[in-house]
Amino acid sequence: MKRLDREIISITEIAQDYYELVFSWDSDAGEAAQGGNAPGGVQPGGVLPRGVQPGNFVTVKAGPATDPVLRRPFAFSACDGKTASFIFQKRGRGTSWLATLSRGSPLDILGPLGNAFPAPGAGKQPVLIAGGIGLGPMLFLAARLREGALAGSHRMPLLLTGFRTAALIPERPGLIPPESVICTDDGSQGFKGTVGDWLDSAVPDSPEFYACGPVPMMAAVEKHAIIHKAKYHASVEQWMACGVGACMGCTVAMKDGSYERACKEGPIFDGYKIDWSRL
Amino acid sequence: MTDLRVKIGELVLPNPVGVASGCFGFGKDYGQLIEVNRLGALYTKAVTLEPRAGNDIPRLADTPSGMLNSIGLANPGLEGFVSEKLPEIRQFSCPVIVNIAGKTEDDYALLLEKLEELDGFDGYELNISCPNVKEGGLAFGTNPELVERLVKRLATILEKKRQKRPLIVKLSPNVTDIAAIARAAESGGATAISAINTVLGMVIDTKKRKPVLAMGSGGLSGPAIRPVGVAAVWRISRAVKIPVIGLGGIMNTDDAIQYFMAGATAIQMGTALFSRPEAPLEVIDGIKSFMEENRLNSMEEIRGLLKEA
Repeated sequence: MKRLDREIISITEIAQDYYELVFSWDSDAGEAAQGGNAPGGVQPGGVLPRGVQPGNFVTVKAGPATDPVLRRPFAFSACDGKTASFIFQKRGRGTSWLATLSRGSPLDILGPLGNAFPAPGAGKQPVLIAGGIGLGPMLFLAARLREGALAGSHRMPLLLTGFRTAALIPERPGLIPPESVICTDDGSQGFKGTVGDWLDSAVPDSPEFYACGPVPMMAAVEKHAIIHKAKYHASVEQWMACGVGACMGCTVAMKDGSYERACKEGPIFDGYKIDWSRL
Repeated sequence: MTDLRVKIGELVLPNPVGVASGCFGFGKDYGQLIEVNRLGALYTKAVTLEPRAGNDIPRLADTPSGMLNSIGLANPGLEGFVSEKLPEIRQFSCPVIVNIAGKTEDDYALLLEKLEELDGFDGYELNISCPNVKEGGLAFGTNPELVERLVKRLATILEKKRQKRPLIVKLSPNVTDIAAIARAAESGGATAISAINTVLGMVIDTKKRKPVLAMGSGGLSGPAIRPVGVAAVWRISRAVKIPVIGLGGIMNTDDAIQYFMAGATAIQMGTALFSRPEAPLEVIDGIKSFMEENRLNSMEEIRGLLKEA
């Protein structure tokens, strides 16, 4: 991980208040401190590739001076070694400022941070579930898992995406893989209902769940994981200060009463261990 | 020759810029990002006798030019500190000050006695000013008599042990007269004062109709509180003879110089790390440039630059 001064290559509103921000990147940023057994990426001979893995995130300075003070965390939605991207929703003052930036604007990046999604078990069907802004890391994971599947290391991933309404579905062609399932709460596009509703009707055999999204969705996925006796890798979101494990600010509550840092032990956790009622 | 060294009791800091307790953990996490050994001092996360999980979540809130936190002194306790953190700290060549906290006077005394048997660090910062725990912390820091009694007891322990480690007493701004608390700490035998800890604050989510932090209120830090810190240091440094270590919202060299002009011997930076991790190292360079430009040889000369208001 490093703090880097980078440049915005493109920033595009891909749905109502949802932006895809592509920035310059290079491998000299190194790896996230946690490393991890990342999916689709294990090289022949079992050597882990260097660099950014699905699940990793960056923090971004969200203003030109000292206000806001806190950097904003965003999970990578893609990274190819020369460019990287994340998807954000214009929601508070930090993301509203980011949305005003344009091609060529400097971007103050700290990363890569956090751990990575583990690879699926042998014979397991990876089921990726993305809700709202949780789409970003799931797109990156889906892309890596597809590469891994084509190389024969595991099964082809199934990506399940949930949105409140069709206006919030990113329209850039190719961003969401065509074979994905799209659910909208109001039925304006795809399956009518939540991703949880979809899972009630059709879960593939031997699933292994990966999810990022709103807390009710994350809790719903846990129920399905229990029913199918499946592993559940949950990516969490939390306010963050240092991003490197020092300040204990971004902790997530575990069912055993302990706290784990979203930036250090996470953001990917065993979804069974998280106390979703306290997030 | 510009000399950036400053003295806190018998301890010489290579430069006056430290990183504040609670913002830097025990140093290892930031070690990948910045050259920790260039720091004037590393003030650790507070250590308590028993391990603490910390407060309920959420613990952070974004505020205008600042942030609110309610971490609750989450730390591995004395045993965890000794087994996990102390070996990490020993790798650093910069001075390390261990911040200590407790619920009772006996807690503080026992903790200090045990720590005095260990090597690998250079001093103590006494946390009697945490706004985020119910017992101890701020309960001590707002009462001059309790401050003097606690400091006297701890200073006596340190005298017996002869490690000559400084005892820095960290004060809260959430009091009527911070100078009175500082005088009490000095009377008790404190080596130095550090000020200020965070300012009590609250943010309410009007849609949810409840405070953003799980604990309700928390400690405000960042540039929003810098004028509060500068004024506190100005008052304290005129009330006591021992060195004052200034902190509160220092983001850059100019902020640091304000604290020195107000009377600080050294400074600490905390929240600035969250915005720009290399900020303390940039401030060290900035202070050196400031001294060269103004033809100053020692840090003490900066204080003398302040004209009367």
